[in-house]
Amino acid sequence: MNRRRRTEILIQGKPSLAQKLADEIKEKYLCQEVSAPKYGLTMMKVRETAKNSLFYIGEVLVTEAKVAIKQEIGVGIVIGMKDELATHLAIIDAAYNAELPETANWEAPLLAEEQAIREEKIHKQAQILRTKVQFETMEV
Amino acid sequence: MGYVAVKGGTNAIEASIQRLKYERLKGKEVIEVETILKTMRQLVDQVMSEASLYSPYLAALAIKQAEGSMEEAVFLLRAHRSTLPRLYYSQTVNTEAMFVERRISASFKDIPGGQILGATHDYTHRLLDFDLAAETKADIEKWTNQWMEEIKEIESHGELKHFPKVVDYLREEGLFPTYPLNNENPDDVTKKSLAFPASRSERLQILTRGQTGAVTSLGYASLRGYGQVHPNVGEVRVGDVPIYVASSNENTEAKDDEYYIGDVKLTEVESFVPVTTKNERNEMELNFEIGYGICYGQNETKAIAMSILDQCLENQDNPFSTHDEEFVLYHIDSVESTGFISHLKLPHYVTFQSKLDSVRNVKKGRAEDEKA
Repeated sequence: MNRRRRTEILIQGKPSLAQKLADEIKEKYLCQEVSAPKYGLTMMKVRETAKNSLFYIGEVLVTEAKVAIKQEIGVGIVIGMKDELATHLAIIDAAYNAELPETANWEAPLLAEEQAIREEKIHKQAQILRTKVQFETMEV
Repeated sequence: MGYVAVKGGTNAIEASIQRLKYERLKGKEVIEVETILKTMRQLVDQVMSEASLYSPYLAALAIKQAEGSMEEAVFLLRAHRSTLPRLYYSQTVNTEAMFVERRISASFKDIPGGQILGATHDYTHRLLDFDLAAETKADIEKWTNQWMEEIKEIESHGELKHFPKVVDYLREEGLFPTYPLNNENPDDVTKKSLAFPASRSERLQILTRGQTGAVTSLGYASLRGYGQVHPNVGEVRVGDVPIYVASSNENTEAKDDEYYIGDVKLTEVESFVPVTTKNERNEMELNFEIGYGICYGQNETKAIAMSILDQCLENQDNPFSTHDEEFVLYHIDSVESTGFISHLKLPHYVTFQSKLDSVRNVKKGRAEDEKA
């Protein structure tokens, strides 16, 4: 599974999943902390829809952590102040970068979590759609 | 004009800071940051937007520390921002990917996908609800449990719905001009001081971090005749937008390899502004241009006002101040305007004494002339 998809699942899903996968790696491999979780900024670049040009809307606070496994560095980045999650994401990223065999077994739990996230979003959208309105113009 | 520093007052300043703390604590009530975060959603949004730092928790903390003063909270958050390293630049944020929670059009009653009111004060009675004065945690539990039971019954199936932009639909019909993707790197007003003429990216960055009241007032001035932009709101949308950063912080657009880092809530507006232009036959004809507004959180008034000012500043050959980019861009920043106004209360003894001496000399000279 590619990084974009798995980080979407791990950040939007239950934090316990990232913890479980990271714990599995920590039990078997030496995970060296390259950089402890730290707070920093990500500047967000937006495409505006009037003239299709780019501009910076502002910054977002992120937590970043870096971990090395078998000399492969993994990076965990997440919006907010989330030290634990950033560390777990970094371990999982390093595990994929080092092509550890455990990652082959993660496909199923990740896909199951992705399905749960999708169902939750669909349900939330259904709630929001209760406010869908049909205005009628009045005869004058 | 030169400034002369003052010294002294250390003890009085320390006592003043203690007094300030006492004012915050004398009621002997604790307001948790979490409480502000959970109950003051739109205040938190406004502080983040004006501070240009998206962090609901830190915004709530700043509100607590500032005892609810907007200008102070924004100042605190801006100051904190300056202590943090900028680690990444995001990939281009595509607002079409927004998980829409609210979406309305004032121009068309039927828009593809429909109008969604979402959560809004627009249709509430503006009457004080005295029941809230006695609201208890038990009341909240009861209401939310009932709500959860109700929404459990809502049927949800199929796929997530995507809501196309109203403007895209009109562009397809040829009613609005289309522009090719412009990938020119934006300027950044936090890295380079503003110079005029400003680029479009600088204008939009300053407008989006502008003080809500200032942006709203100038947009309103344009509507009232101190400007020549009176738009129709084509679409207002509020929702969460996903943010991605490239791997290795290289500016690669390889989507599969990028990191998703979470969502930010935004309000985005496209306003339709009628303009008269010359066609290829040199005849005047009516066309539309788009004013663009966007800001952190849910702050629709600011985003609409920004869309008006965006369009004003796209048409600067106009005598009104709202079309003058120096006037607009130099006066809407919260920290700059409140900072400059409030510096007036700090010691200016030497400059004022000098003015006073000048007035005394003039009056003395006049009195001597009259005697002679």
